[in-house]
Amino acid sequence: MLSPYGLDIIESCLTCKTRSERLFCDLPAAALQAFEAIKYATAYPKGAVLFVEGQAPRGIFVLCKGRVKLSICATDGKTLIVKIAEPGEVLGLSASVSGKPYELTAETIDPCQVNFVKRDDFLRFLKEHSEACFKVAEQLSEKYNTACHEVRSLGLSHSAGEKLAKLLLEWSSRNGEASKQEPHVKMALTHEEIAQMIGTSRETVTRLFGDLKKRQIVQTKGSTLVIRNKAALKLIASNN
Amino acid sequence: MESASQVSCLECVRPPGRLFCDLPVEALKDFDFLKSVNRYARGTTLFREGHPAHNVFVLCNGRVRLSVCSESGRRLTLRIAGPGEVLGMSACLSGSAHEITAELLDNAQVAMIKRRDLLHFLHEHREACLHVVSLLSQDLHIAYDRVRSVGLGRSRRSRVLRPH
Repeated sequence: MLSPYGLDIIESCLTCKTRSERLFCDLPAAALQAFEAIKYATAYPKGAVLFVEGQAPRGIFVLCKGRVKLSICATDGKTLIVKIAEPGEVLGLSASVSGKPYELTAETIDPCQVNFVKRDDFLRFLKEHSEACFKVAEQLSEKYNTACHEVRSLGLSHSAGEKLAKLLLEWSSRNGEASKQEPHVKMALTHEEIAQMIGTSRETVTRLFGDLKKRQIVQTKGSTLVIRNKAALKLIASNN
Repeated sequence: MESASQVSCLECVRPPGRLFCDLPVEALKDFDFLKSVNRYARGTTLFREGHPAHNVFVLCNGRVRLSVCSESGRRLTLRIAGPGEVLGMSACLSGSAHEITAELLDNAQVAMIKRRDLLHFLHEHREACLHVVSLLSQDLHIAYDRVRSVGLGRSRRSRVLRPH
């Protein structure tokens, strides 16, 4: 079924072709049947808020298609993007398990398909299916590692330039680009959003990109960023 | 490291609230068989960030400083872990290198279980796996609060306590 957002909605997990590639979804048949019975397949447009930081946990959201921005916000409105979640990730996990409020805000940055499971149903599902429980532990572990990485980057980087260089190097190591001399990075975020990822202002990000281009360390081709001098970027990232 | 006389988890008189240790008898027996116990001196590093994760540690007593480090050697404390806490779990489960460094702040007794034994144990004992999921959820809440305090300059707790 094609939704108004141009998504090809996958109604059943049992027939999903990408299931085997995804950590949480690749469940044994019995667990998958049980999950199928408790999940609601939903579609959201770009810019939809799945849950808000501080809200009581309703349940978990399995991201099937699209990307979701996970952020935390200060009372003065300053926002910090913790992560861009990709398909296959389970959102709202720790809050749903612990019963504490969601610690992040989740907002779609593409049209998304999301499978929602109510908290009570999810907790019962975990108790009954040890394989699923183990996969949840693995997902939580990865999220914890990412959060530690974020603390290190935010707390121990000397400058915004260092943080931006680290972020670009991290992006350039994905999608088989790591070994290339001049990796290509698809720029899916605005300067404002990049600023929110490294805890600085939009103006600073624009100035830093201008400086990197002037020094021919990076080059833009449409929405793609080419890293022309990886060594120089690494030098900036290591604060030398 | 000083090897301790094997302390049995079955005989351990532990205070309530130690989530990981509070296992059903069968699971506790299996854990007791798989683990080894050692005493370490204050200042010992149980694991270091960037190093492969081979073991998980359960802190029987004492305190541990969990920190992250920059390339230039600057260190930032994430939090202080106390008795009953499980350390190194996320790296062992995700199969990645340790993201943090754990250093003892006191002389302490620590139970240790090898990664492959832990994975097998969690597959065998659903109850233990549920405990681990709860522990990781708590750790993640604390880590996000740390992200908030470092990145935005304030913690959820301090916001709550601030007078209106």
